Amino acid sequence: MMQRVLALVKMELLKLIREPANLFLNMLFPAILTLVFGLAFGGLGGGDSSLFDTMAPGLFAYACIFLIMTVAMSFTDDRESGLLKRINVTPTTSTQFIGSHIITNMFIAVFQLAIVFLLSLLMGFRPNVDVLGVIMAFVFMLFLSLCSVGLGLITATIAKSAGAASGISFIFILPQMFFGTFMPLTEATRVIAAFLPSYYVTEAITTIFNGVSPFAVEILMQLGIIALMSIIIVILGIFLFKKYGKV
Amino acid sequence: MVMRNTNDDEKMQNLIDEFKKDISSKNNEILGYHDKIDALEQEIIRLQKLIPGETSKLKVKREKPEDIFDPDGASAVIVKDLVKQFGDVTAVNGINLDIKKGELFGLLGPNGAGKTTTINMLVGLLDPTEGTASVGGYDVKRDLNKIKEIIGVCPQEPAVFKFLKGRENVELFGNLFEMDKNVLKERADKFFEASGLKEASNRKAKGYSGGMLRQLNLIIALINDPKIIFLDEPTVGMDPRVRRKTWTFIGDLKQKDKTIILTTHYIEEAEALCDRVGIIDYGELIALGSPKELMKKHDAKNLEEVFMKITGRRILEGV
Repeated sequence: MMQRVLALVKMELLKLIREPANLFLNMLFPAILTLVFGLAFGGLGGGDSSLFDTMAPGLFAYACIFLIMTVAMSFTDDRESGLLKRINVTPTTSTQFIGSHIITNMFIAVFQLAIVFLLSLLMGFRPNVDVLGVIMAFVFMLFLSLCSVGLGLITATIAKSAGAASGISFIFILPQMFFGTFMPLTEATRVIAAFLPSYYVTEAITTIFNGVSPFAVEILMQLGIIALMSIIIVILGIFLFKKYGKV
Repeated sequence: MVMRNTNDDEKMQNLIDEFKKDISSKNNEILGYHDKIDALEQEIIRLQKLIPGETSKLKVKREKPEDIFDPDGASAVIVKDLVKQFGDVTAVNGINLDIKKGELFGLLGPNGAGKTTTINMLVGLLDPTEGTASVGGYDVKRDLNKIKEIIGVCPQEPAVFKFLKGRENVELFGNLFEMDKNVLKERADKFFEASGLKEASNRKAKGYSGGMLRQLNLIIALINDPKIIFLDEPTVGMDPRVRRKTWTFIGDLKQKDKTIILTTHYIEEAEALCDRVGIIDYGELIALGSPKELMKKHDAKNLEEVFMKITGRRILEGV
């Protein structure tokens, strides 16, 4: 079983490295965004912290949200080129196949967080956090990547082509971008944000980076919420894709 | 009231036993007998219901479909009354087939005749609307995972990861069959050498020509050393030289006792390679036999003439 999963993970990672669009969206885009935001907002704001300091935790989630698009495009592209059918006539189970996507995207999320975190530090971001706090931030990001895989699967179910998938994925990307990362929230938008996975991740990482213990009750509650959300979204994504995804 | 005693049960059991013996010796009539056994069993159940309070000692033991279909184990693929409907459209309409082990069987037919749909049902990509089929002795509805372990499928359109090198594609699919690393490398080397893709095997498939992609497509289908191989139009888009080479390649597979189900538009390909061919049109199997048998039966010089006569007549008759 592991031989199959590892082979698929290797293939997905090679896709990330060798497909320029994937490489840009998943690695270069978050890096460029962090540098631009650091340059633009690093000197703004009052008191001890700059505007960039308050935005940085949102940037971590921001990068991971775009996994929705790459996952959706990857599935639709493989479907269009007959590769999903081809894999389907091997003994590989759908659990192994989708599991390999989840593992790959968790890897990518970890890389993204590492890149954005290091570049943020370079741009002057100084979080009040210890090693355990950073580890907890990574755990939150892993759950967010799980949500992105699930939402990517739902997008791939609806989309007929890779091009359509990139457009439709914004249904899930935009609300999270505006109401679940670094944008200030109003009373109304906070209600919407309550349904968005990235909101809980940004809130938790912001709190952790402000020096609160990663095992504080509020953090653990947010961890529980994002864990539950990710499980529900992934199961829903797998169910919809298997039933209506026209493999 | 219908009365029944132990003797009736024994007689009925004897009848079933006789039928089963009969089935073993008459493989060609298996499908018909299977229906008779079904009817007989229904009758037994009906009789049991008519006797209140009495529990019958007669046990109706159903054989597995593959045992009934293939008692001598000589068949690789058995298709019985297979139907596939897409909404109002019937793509496959009650096909029956018995493909023997080691046979190279050609499935011919015009575009949209139902060839690929039939294959897709046999390899588990589509669920049959009605009917049943077994591949390698396994039922397509119940034992799909076992079927997938013994088959190789070469799809009509080359399905390869373009960003991977030729060799990486082959290794990926070999790993999906959980092949031993050394065996996988050995087989991959052999296939790349035989196909003339050795040089190109370390290049990304993105740069391959159409013919090279088709060869890679075929290598992937064969890498797991499958017992039963489904080749869906494997030589479309190949130049005549590569096509001839691929024919030799397919012919060699037959020598290795592989069962091959080949769909093709090239009638001369079927004539040159196949032991038997089945011609499908409008989802129905309208001719079945060896190329020679069909040519004799339809008084034709070659298989193409047979094909044109049969499918053309159906068009004229408005079938």
